Amino acid sequence: MTELNRRNFIRSASLATGSILFFSSCRNQTGGYLFFTGEEALCLIAFCEQIIPKDDSPGATDAGVIYYIDRQLSTIFQYDQETYRNGIRNLQGYCNKKFGKSFEKVDFAEQTKLLKQLENNKLQEIEWPLGRSSDFFNLVRSHTMQGFYGSPIHGGNKDYLSFRMLKIDYPLVIGQNRYRSL
Amino acid sequence: MANKHVNALVVGAGAGGGVVAKELATAGISVVLFERGEWPIYDEHPNDELISQRTEVLGSPFGPDHLKNPRVLINKEGKKEIATPIRGGYSNNAACVGSGTVSYGAMAWRFMEEDFQLKTVYGAVAGSTLDDWPITYQDLEPCYEKAEWEIGVSGDDTQNPFAPPRKKKQPMPPFEYNQEARVLYDASKRLGMHPFPLPMLRNSVPYNGRAACIRNRTCCGYACPVNAKNGSQNTVIPVAMATGNCEVRTGSKVVEIMVDDRGKATGVKYFDKNEKPQVQTADLIVVSGAAIETARLLLNSKSKLFPHGAGNNFDWVGRNLMGHAYTGAYGLFDWDILDFSGPGATVAWCDFNHHNPGIVGGGLLANEFNRLPFLYCGVRPPGSERWGKEHKDFQRNMYHRTAQVVGPIQEMPMYESRVTVDQEVKDFWGIPVAALSGDRHPLDYEHCKFLSSKAEAILKEAGAYQTWQSVGGQGGPSGGQHQNGTARMGNDKNTSVVNRYGQVHEIDNLFVADGSIMLNGGGFNPALTIMALGFWVGGHIARNFAGTKFK
Repeated sequence: MTELNRRNFIRSASLATGSILFFSSCRNQTGGYLFFTGEEALCLIAFCEQIIPKDDSPGATDAGVIYYIDRQLSTIFQYDQETYRNGIRNLQGYCNKKFGKSFEKVDFAEQTKLLKQLENNKLQEIEWPLGRSSDFFNLVRSHTMQGFYGSPIHGGNKDYLSFRMLKIDYPLVIGQNRYRSL
Repeated sequence: MANKHVNALVVGAGAGGGVVAKELATAGISVVLFERGEWPIYDEHPNDELISQRTEVLGSPFGPDHLKNPRVLINKEGKKEIATPIRGGYSNNAACVGSGTVSYGAMAWRFMEEDFQLKTVYGAVAGSTLDDWPITYQDLEPCYEKAEWEIGVSGDDTQNPFAPPRKKKQPMPPFEYNQEARVLYDASKRLGMHPFPLPMLRNSVPYNGRAACIRNRTCCGYACPVNAKNGSQNTVIPVAMATGNCEVRTGSKVVEIMVDDRGKATGVKYFDKNEKPQVQTADLIVVSGAAIETARLLLNSKSKLFPHGAGNNFDWVGRNLMGHAYTGAYGLFDWDILDFSGPGATVAWCDFNHHNPGIVGGGLLANEFNRLPFLYCGVRPPGSERWGKEHKDFQRNMYHRTAQVVGPIQEMPMYESRVTVDQEVKDFWGIPVAALSGDRHPLDYEHCKFLSSKAEAILKEAGAYQTWQSVGGQGGPSGGQHQNGTARMGNDKNTSVVNRYGQVHEIDNLFVADGSIMLNGGGFNPALTIMALGFWVGGHIARNFAGTKFK
């Protein structure tokens, strides 16, 4: 018998019967997040800000990318929940050990260096115990880009700020020549 | 209460199915046109890049439901993975009335004569099932003309020296070039190439009672806000319905073709809008579900004389799955070459479709339709930073200063690139799903490198200060929105599924009229050819069907 990706199959099968299964680690959060704990969010906000930093124009934090990722993880990206949980846990574990503080409190340049290591799988298994660091990195990178450059209707790109940056704001928008009320 | 028996069923209201329904209905044949989706609604996803027909990251704007319709991908080692419409490798086609023709880029290409006779022109290709079609371009020419006039095409083939012969011109004048097209036009002429205006299934002027295109740049992947993009849903299907002979039955998922013990198709089983199982009987059936779902339906339709699926006694159903690898190049300019005049792609070249030394076939080139923010995140010269300030700077500074020339490569059909049915994984309705497996022919990558080099040459000549190629054609199997090949035409039932009229060998009243019956995909977007095949198959049925059976 050939091997199915059993986790995806079970998820797909259970979703296919019309019920939405939340993983046991998901719970209602304070701090306005559907999925993340307050601490997890602080870590991820700093991570996303590394991906798209504020300069002359707003960055990922200003755009509210965290809300995009939080919302999608609770709904359409449920199968990525474990990757985020484990990735953030690994990242904080490593930072506390190496720097004596959590990721978001580490100096910006050090954060950049560390994320490059994650991107290229440069940490030892003992330093990054659960999953491949590049899988986690690439997921956050991709979701940050979606949340920053996608439509605000999905939770990020606050007030179309990335479209303003790209000079494709009103009256030039994607798909048709008017904004839809959110 | 049982459904009333009708003359004909058409499964799938897309480019092929919509045309067939019209040909039958206007000939007085009663038709039920099944569509698993609904009529498209413009207002649902108008300006959302992440839910668009090109980028289905957060959903498919025209379905199908991503939770209810899994497929299986089988890699080279035999390992299986579940794919959904929003998780890569699925090869989705819009599930709505009109299907892809609602939101497509709408390029309106006639294949060239050579595209129907690749084996004669180039010889056999080792490792490929490359072969000639049992019909020629001349057979299909009147059907191309019907498609151009009844659905509506803008263009001027007199400007394309490689255009195949035609009796009648395209009904509407071509679209004007946008800014980058003019620059690329001039550059390519200096290189001795033959640029011309891209033919489109889109109203350049008012036509068929609908408005002219408003020149929205970000058109491809979206339904048209003024209904100027021509598909089967706003042309032939309403004509079919107006005869009184055609019922469009939406929300209906056909899951099996019933074939009796004597090898005659008798009707279909389907799930209706309320998910109730139903039966609809008819005198004849035409399948137009696109290459993957058509193959799946045939394979799931087992009967006494066809234990391996309808028309599949010789194991050709689902074989030769193809699509189009896209390949081209990018150029960076020191001025704002991008303008926002749509439909975006306006200039094309057919210099490289055929008779390129050492290349079997080839493909067209054109300037690219869209510039969209999230997709642009991936457009970077090799060696660029993938994130951080440098990535953001490039996004901001170069968004208006990048041009792209790109085209679809003619793929070499592979017997082992195929659609099968997975017996373990089932969809929401309990029906075994399509499984995709196999690999591309190694020539696809070589051919893509060739076409990309031509694209890069145009951009360099146009004054780009930096260019790079984006070469497709690696990793298979192919498929995607241009999927074709899985129920190929042929004169020999041992090596094909349907005859030259799309009639399934050995099941006289079962037909296929979509991209599945093509033997190769051309180096062209296939929609107009699929519509022409709809006129071809539908016209044949209409002429030969008398009352309850064929003459």
